[in-house]
Amino acid sequence: MPSITEAVPLPWVLTLAGALFCVGLFGALSRRNTVGILLGIELMLNAVNINLVAFWRYLEPNVVAGQTFALFVITVAAAEAAVGLAMIIAIYRARQTVNADEVDSLRG
Amino acid sequence: MNTLITVLFLIFAAIILASAIMTVTVKNIVHAALWLISSFFGVGALYLLMEAEFLGVAQVLIYVGAVSILILFAIMLTRDLEGSQNRQLTPRWWIALIVPAALFSLLIVPTVMTHAWQLPPPPPAGQPPAISGAQQIGAAFMREYLLPFEVAAILLTVAMIGAIVVAFEERERRRRVLTLAEQVRLRQRQQQRQQPAPRPEPAATAVQPSEATGSET
Amino acid sequence: MTEIIIPPIDWRVAAQLSIIFGWASVLLVIALFVPRSRTRIIGYLAIVGVIVAAVAGIPLWGVNAETFSGMLRLDAYSLTLNWLFLASTAITIALSLDYLPRQGIERSEYYVLVLFATGGMMLLAQGADLIILFLGLELLSIVLYVLTGFAYPRIASEEAGMKYLLIGAFAGGFVVFGIALLYGATGSMNLRAIGETLARQALTPEERTYLLAGAALVVVGFGYKVAMAPFHMWAPDVYEGAPTPVTGLLSVGSKAAGFASLLRFLVEALAGEWQIWAPVLAALAIATLAVGNIGALTQQNVKRMLAYSSIGHAGYILFGVIAAGATDGVAGQRGVESVLLYLIAYTFTNLGAFGVLIALEQRGEAAWDMGDLAGLWNRRPWLAIAMAVCMLSLAGIPPTGGFWGKLYVFTAAWLAGMGWITVIGVIIAAVAAFYYLRIVAQMFMAEPAREAPLPMDRALRVGLTLATLGVLILGFIPTPAIDLVQRVVLGVRG
Repeated sequence: MPSITEAVPLPWVLTLAGALFCVGLFGALSRRNTVGILLGIELMLNAVNINLVAFWRYLEPNVVAGQTFALFVITVAAAEAAVGLAMIIAIYRARQTVNADEVDSLRG
Repeated sequence: MNTLITVLFLIFAAIILASAIMTVTVKNIVHAALWLISSFFGVGALYLLMEAEFLGVAQVLIYVGAVSILILFAIMLTRDLEGSQNRQLTPRWWIALIVPAALFSLLIVPTVMTHAWQLPPPPPAGQPPAISGAQQIGAAFMREYLLPFEVAAILLTVAMIGAIVVAFEERERRRRVLTLAEQVRLRQRQQQRQQPAPRPEPAATAVQPSEATGSET
Repeated sequence: MTEIIIPPIDWRVAAQLSIIFGWASVLLVIALFVPRSRTRIIGYLAIVGVIVAAVAGIPLWGVNAETFSGMLRLDAYSLTLNWLFLASTAITIALSLDYLPRQGIERSEYYVLVLFATGGMMLLAQGADLIILFLGLELLSIVLYVLTGFAYPRIASEEAGMKYLLIGAFAGGFVVFGIALLYGATGSMNLRAIGETLARQALTPEERTYLLAGAALVVVGFGYKVAMAPFHMWAPDVYEGAPTPVTGLLSVGSKAAGFASLLRFLVEALAGEWQIWAPVLAALAIATLAVGNIGALTQQNVKRMLAYSSIGHAGYILFGVIAAGATDGVAGQRGVESVLLYLIAYTFTNLGAFGVLIALEQRGEAAWDMGDLAGLWNRRPWLAIAMAVCMLSLAGIPPTGGFWGKLYVFTAAWLAGMGWITVIGVIIAAVAAFYYLRIVAQMFMAEPAREAPLPMDRALRVGLTLATLGVLILGFIPTPAIDLVQRVVLGVRG
């Protein structure tokens, strides 16, 4: 029965997750654009999830803790993204002394 | 078979990391969001490789299907036209490079590599390993993870209320954004009024909120 | 198909939480039927819910139980903190009732969101599992992002909300990465189980590094939330931008909740590693004290000054947290007591100080400058007295609640063997008294800079009086509060 636990050592997966976390961290620290910072944070959270799933699969595949926690992380990330993007839109609107024409031209 | 999995893992890892690096470095923020989607897909594929099918599907549904689209919408709705020429990185981005690089090379790699992982023994040959799947996750949400499940529900409710409160503000306070249909109607009305109709100034559409609110239900 | 059987739930443990979350949801629906001009009713109803939840806690005193498979715990520690959160919520709502319509930002969702924030704080105090701590932290944070951006006529408010969100999400990433590492190292997310794993097996150096790396990331994440140096940069801007009642809640409730879970995490899960984390946190505490107090010294903007001062107070609370982990039992007990006592005194004091700012703030203009307080004694003697009491308490001068808090924190630190650090803390506290007293001098000595009519609403007056009386009562008759926190000790250590 082939499985990833035999084919790929756990440290590889964890190193991948660590690298992804650091790339996301760099993105969050270096971007000027608010959306860009959010993109970096999403990458960090994905790295965490890789870690959790790897721990579940390699260390205790018959316990669901790692997977459920990863699901909660996804939930939180989605909620944070929703509020964050709502705020970006609100700030943009307030800043632009709302030029209806410009905003609308992107919609149609 | 094992070599195949190793190769697949390396391919997925390359996709994830390369897309992530593109996400944080490309100039155009729309491209960055698209690279992010590619990275999300890579992570989803990795979950499937690790036999976490439910999470793989959730990853694609939520991250690729919802979060990315939300991000793209926000970019589209707020992008100012000269934005693509702006510098996207902070002037001292190389300082920002040092922190993650140090974290990675000094903390993460040494600890991960030297840690003595107590892996469970592989299952006896011919017998499939006991892996918890979607059914176990569902049962766990109703049993030992009942409280976090409820709290997550509250969290989503709060996020929904919050997003609505923030994004849909009272219209009388701020000049509201016309919908496309209203705007077309407004333009037509203006063109009828001033006959050799020049193209109406954008400002002209904006200063007449009373007419616009009249047509609103 | 396996039948799903929901395990029995001990409702005593979840009673207060259920009341708050349930009432918040009910209010959300009621708000649909309340006309816009009477939104204030929702505020009163929210206060009623808070009082009911607080009263429901009285028969629960002495309960020491956990439910939801050990994820939620009720003990004297969490019950005391719950009461503290409920008190700060009630005062915050009372202070908001008049402020919101005056600023033109009254919406029923505000009160509902404040209740949800309270629920998040209670989860942080009661959570005994890293999953609950993470979800509670995020719930509280998401509500606070929205509330910070609530004063949308001022663009600074929305920008502060955005800034807070970015920093908060960033910190959340650290917390969750740390939790993943801890899970990998110990195989559990339950605080007590982690502590037992640590106590049971002699860890190899590599395993310890792994565990400590995870713990460090969690502490960094919580450090952002409680505005501990060097993770404090966001606090002054966010505190200034947020609507003033929300600033009060941020500086009080969210900080207390952050410390509540940080303390539980460090004492229950990581007590075995005290030798390692105590010096690190001590250095951070000194840095926090220095940054907060030096920043506050030069501020002309009172709201910003209070923001820096609240960073400084995080440093004093950290003294107590470090002492609480001490291997020496007496010092450890004194540490837990001191953290709670300090939090109680600080909560009432800071809410009172922000209440005075709220009373001074007119529609569309901020009255946060030192000059706005000049000659307050001649204009509004009671407001001046309330502010003076709060400033004396923040400075730690008897007979106010702040004095007892500082005394306890310093003795706890001394008992835990941190002699030098205690001395530095006392010196900084003495220097810090200067800028608090400067405000008192402004109010009583200076000539009024301008005459402004100050509308005072009944709810505002009640809220302000409660906060100030709280400070004074704690100062003159500290024994009930000290008794309360002394019983707590066993809960968190046991």
